[in-house]
Amino acid sequence: MAVKQAAVASECARKEASTMSENWVLKEGEAVELLALLITSARIQMEEPAHYGPLRLLTAAERLSSMIAERSSEASLEFLTENIERIPEMHMVMSDVDAYSAALDERCRAVAACLLRHSSISEEPE
Amino acid sequence: MSEAVLENIRTRRVVRQMSDEPVKRAQIEAILEAARWAPSGGNLRPNRYIVIEDAETRRLIRLVSPGMFQKAPVLILICTNWEVAAEHHLPPTDRALLIDIGTAAQTMMLAAHALGLASGPVTSYSKEAVKMILNLPEAYSPEMFICIGHKAEAAQPGMRAWKKISWRDLTHWERFNSD
Ligand SMILES: Cc1cc2nc3c(=O)[nH]c(=O)nc-3n(C[C@H](O)[C@H](O)[C@H](O)COP(=O)(O)O)c2cc1C
Repeated sequence: MAVKQAAVASECARKEASTMSENWVLKEGEAVELLALLITSARIQMEEPAHYGPLRLLTAAERLSSMIAERSSEASLEFLTENIERIPEMHMVMSDVDAYSAALDERCRAVAACLLRHSSISEEPE
Repeated sequence: MSEAVLENIRTRRVVRQMSDEPVKRAQIEAILEAARWAPSGGNLRPNRYIVIEDAETRRLIRLVSPGMFQKAPVLILICTNWEVAAEHHLPPTDRALLIDIGTAAQTMMLAAHALGLASGPVTSYSKEAVKMILNLPEAYSPEMFICIGHKAEAAQPGMRAWKKISWRDLTHWERFNSD
């Protein structure tokens, strides 16, 4: 019963949050972990091949998605879940430039769709 | 016997998804003992190995290691001890120092594979952050992690090759012609 109530409450929170992008989704400890990844990535990129740059940015995107998915609104959830599922697979095709670019383009379209869901502009043009 | 060694070399792959299953102390020691037998330039043995099993230390190391995708139960850090290099008047740029790290790394990964364990090397981390987290002595530089553990059931295949290669593509026999 308590579980069901919690599920309903979380569903309500989601609905409300979808119109409220000021929603807090990141804890301080998580933010610091993400900063550690970003700052150390910047340092190691000074000595690593240029094509590792996208890999590090995607790792950060995947890590951030994992951190916030649980507390995110409906408007972001699908995008975040896909990031968690698809980004690790993308690393493995890094050597196939066409496949890598296509997968990155697909993520770019997904982020645009997510932005539109959070905005007052509709995703589907009338 | 030699076929088993060759098979071990052929079938070792980097594993980037590991389970939580712990690695036995005797297995870690067998891997370290194997590294002791790796070739070393001038037999100087400048490598030092730091074994990290503590969960919180491993967590912190992962946070400053963007190239460490595994959550491995054991990390072995290969360090160069610069006091050994200085003692033997090896200039810091002497390539034997780097090659020694490579011979130890491959020996440990093959030993792990022979013991039925998974492994993966990692060089993509902040050396400064790792030095602080491990409180490394001034003379030690952290050169490469070897992650050791058990392959996760749902582990993905490794990075796709840039192009298919055979040993023939990598080899040239005898002198190069001038034309
Ligand atoms: C010097 C060196 C550094 C490496 N650094 C990393 C690393 O930081 N992260 C990682 O996941 N793999 C790392 N690797 C593993 C290689 O990506 C891997 O050996 C290569 O893709 C071939 O895969 P295989 O060993 O399974 O055949 C490194 C390997 C070497 C030799």
